[in-house]
Amino acid sequence: MRFTVPEKELMFPGHVACPGCGGALAMRFALKALGEKTMVVLPACCWTIIDGPFPMHSLQVPVLHTAFETAAIAAAGVKAGLDIQGKNDITVMAWAGDGGTLDIGIQALSGAAERNDDIIYTCYDNEAYMNTGIQRSSATPKGAWTTTTPEKTPKSEPKKNIMEIMNAHRIPYCATATLAYPEDLINKFKKAQSIRGTKFIHIFAPCPTGWKMAPDLMIKICRLAVETNIFPIYECENGLNYSINIKPKNQIPVVDYLKPQGRFRHLIQKDIEQIQKSVDFEWELLQYRASRDFTKSKNIQSQAKK
Amino acid sequence: MKWLEKYKVQVPILEKESDYPNWAISMTTTLLNHTGTWRIFRPIYLNKIPPCNNECPTNEKIQSYMDLVKQDKLLEAYKLILEDNPFPSITGRVCYHPCETECNRKDYDESIGIHCVERFIGDWGLKKVPFAKPATKRKVSIAIIGSGPAGMASAYYLALNGFNVTIFEKKAKLGGMLRYGIPAYRLPKKVLDNEFKKLITLGVKFRTSSLVGKDITLDNLRKNFDFVIIGHGAHKNRPMVIPNEEASGVFSGLDFLSQINSGKRPKIGKKVAIIGGGNTAIDAARSCLRLGSIPTILYRRTRAEMPAVSDEIDAAEAEGIKIEFLVAPVKITVTKKGKLTGIELIKMKLGRPDASGRRRPVPVEKSNFTLKFDSIISAIGEQVDLSILSADITKTEWGVKADFIGRTNIQNIFAIGDCVTGPKTVVEAFGAGKRTALQIMGNADKIQHKVERPVQYSELNLDYFEHTQKVPPPQMPVAVRKKNFKEVHTGYSNVNAKNESERCFSCGVCNKCDNCFVVCPDLSVLKDTGEYEFDYDYCKGCGVCAHECPRYAITMIEESKAEVE
Repeated sequence: MRFTVPEKELMFPGHVACPGCGGALAMRFALKALGEKTMVVLPACCWTIIDGPFPMHSLQVPVLHTAFETAAIAAAGVKAGLDIQGKNDITVMAWAGDGGTLDIGIQALSGAAERNDDIIYTCYDNEAYMNTGIQRSSATPKGAWTTTTPEKTPKSEPKKNIMEIMNAHRIPYCATATLAYPEDLINKFKKAQSIRGTKFIHIFAPCPTGWKMAPDLMIKICRLAVETNIFPIYECENGLNYSINIKPKNQIPVVDYLKPQGRFRHLIQKDIEQIQKSVDFEWELLQYRASRDFTKSKNIQSQAKK
Repeated sequence: MKWLEKYKVQVPILEKESDYPNWAISMTTTLLNHTGTWRIFRPIYLNKIPPCNNECPTNEKIQSYMDLVKQDKLLEAYKLILEDNPFPSITGRVCYHPCETECNRKDYDESIGIHCVERFIGDWGLKKVPFAKPATKRKVSIAIIGSGPAGMASAYYLALNGFNVTIFEKKAKLGGMLRYGIPAYRLPKKVLDNEFKKLITLGVKFRTSSLVGKDITLDNLRKNFDFVIIGHGAHKNRPMVIPNEEASGVFSGLDFLSQINSGKRPKIGKKVAIIGGGNTAIDAARSCLRLGSIPTILYRRTRAEMPAVSDEIDAAEAEGIKIEFLVAPVKITVTKKGKLTGIELIKMKLGRPDASGRRRPVPVEKSNFTLKFDSIISAIGEQVDLSILSADITKTEWGVKADFIGRTNIQNIFAIGDCVTGPKTVVEAFGAGKRTALQIMGNADKIQHKVERPVQYSELNLDYFEHTQKVPPPQMPVAVRKKNFKEVHTGYSNVNAKNESERCFSCGVCNKCDNCFVVCPDLSVLKDTGEYEFDYDYCKGCGVCAHECPRYAITMIEESKAEVE
């Protein structure tokens, strides 16, 4: 097997991501997909730092740094400004972490989605506020250690399902992607670019520092997340038509994914079984959704198009 | 090209307050920021020895030619094989392929059909590629005793490099064991003749029907040639040392095969017993079958201890040849007039392991029984005929004393192949021949030794491979093949060979799969020059590339131990 990705780099090295950063690689792939005519809007997140301290920057496309809660609306504003100038061929991408998407930025994102502003909103999900020192976010999975959910009282709430929230907005395109499948990720950005309206892409981007794991396992852990069904790779059009893009060949138990990560070290057999159950449930639910074919119902289709 | 060679980095001057922009806007790129200083470990491209190459007695670069076949570069693949093994059409047929036994893929699904691919390239090359011509002539003369595999390999490399080579062969035709020992259904004589054309084109002189020791003496050769290479093999049948061994109707395995391979059809009758469990025994049995007899192999140990190549035993069994295990001959029974009637056997059981590590067979008392046969073929092993050697050459229990390179105690006399090791395999003889040639040519530094630890299965990243089935070696159906001496294996097609080579993991050797380039979060894998290189100005040493390399061609080394550039 051999990966084929666009050769052109739109990023510079020397950025200050930690070694083995999933978020940095995600940006590299996203820009390879979107090309030069792209503007990136960054709220407070790891990438604010990764991009480089003043006077440096690491992207070969324009970047607007903005406040934590405003990624979606700032991007929509940039897009509106470009439209007024008649520059219609520029893709505007908001690029926020899980904190800036699932917690702090959600009202701006929901607003943009409701107005169907023409932006790509990417959430690179490293499952905690890594940049500020690994505090739990609503994307942190149940049972995980963070500095605010220490080992004795690990996070007790399950991860918020942002994909379902976004699907409920009936935006034209929502997708998940991860770094072990670069071609799938790049194709999804290209597809998003070709659609008008709000597009939401949820990237599973490991943080070796915050997950307490060896940095060289970064890609491996992405693959395990998909193969254990912890993070299924799927897309959904108009909030209705689900399709699973990568179907794991063999069922791998979640423990294979949990084990290499120090943030799950304290889990006992019972916790792992519970995680397995909830993963199995979510996977079955997703398969059920993907098996529904809404194209057959003219009524639903005509409604969805509005 | 390194990033800093490609881009000129602007360093903004920010000394006074007025140098600063009115709002926070970037003025240069992060290329200023040499994140390489963070590194504790550094990745380096370091190709390692794959287990197949390591195990090959001729050190063929198997992984490399698999890669070339993948890319349809058959000529390059053929030339690469010839660097280490001049006669791939022979080894592709008769080699016991230790490469496949060691192939890491066997732990994943099935080993690669290396010998079938080798045979395909060998046959392709024989048909399509003109034979090599010798390099500029040198005034060094070499006598090789024996035209078997060991002598052939030596002769090829020496003649290719301009040496004057003369081969002395006692038989009328060339090839030694390849011609007279191996039956045509495994190695057609035409293939052998075609391979010999390589030596003829190189100008090697042949003196057939000249037995050293009788027609010409070794001392004579020593006087007239700069170097003498002894490679006369092991052709003496080991006696069974049982009563009536000399009775008519008792054949020695090698004599029997030699007669068949010379086109004769010895009278063996209907029921034939073959005694022994080595390749000669299997070859003799399968030849008997093809002559219309019913052969039975009698072996004193069990299947697990049989020294014959496992594939050959399987093939014999598939053809319906019966093997009786744990029986040893006691005497050959004859009528009063001396006519053979059968053989008296004794049952055996396995005792403690002997020097070879195999369990020693021990007779079961009073278990004697007699079986009726029309003829008996004894194939319990071959010995080296030491009578041709002069007294000053040191010998061992079983043959000439020589080291890995073939050096004997006398300078300018080398000994290679079965006459040193006792009966071994064709490919080992090729390997020995090549090493001696390299030594004589003054390229001793090119002689390869086995490494202790080739690339292990656990060192590969198998996420990037799909399970695929081996392309089964095509062969004639049993019902057809057991009636004649036509070749059993029909060989891979071009498509087969390509499909099979695509299964190769390329253990330890970069084959430009681009993984390292794709997965680097720090854009520090560069490939503008066509070769991968790391940009150590920026590589943070995360190790993702090394982990995601499917074939363990990248190694992480401690930064403090890295060479200062």
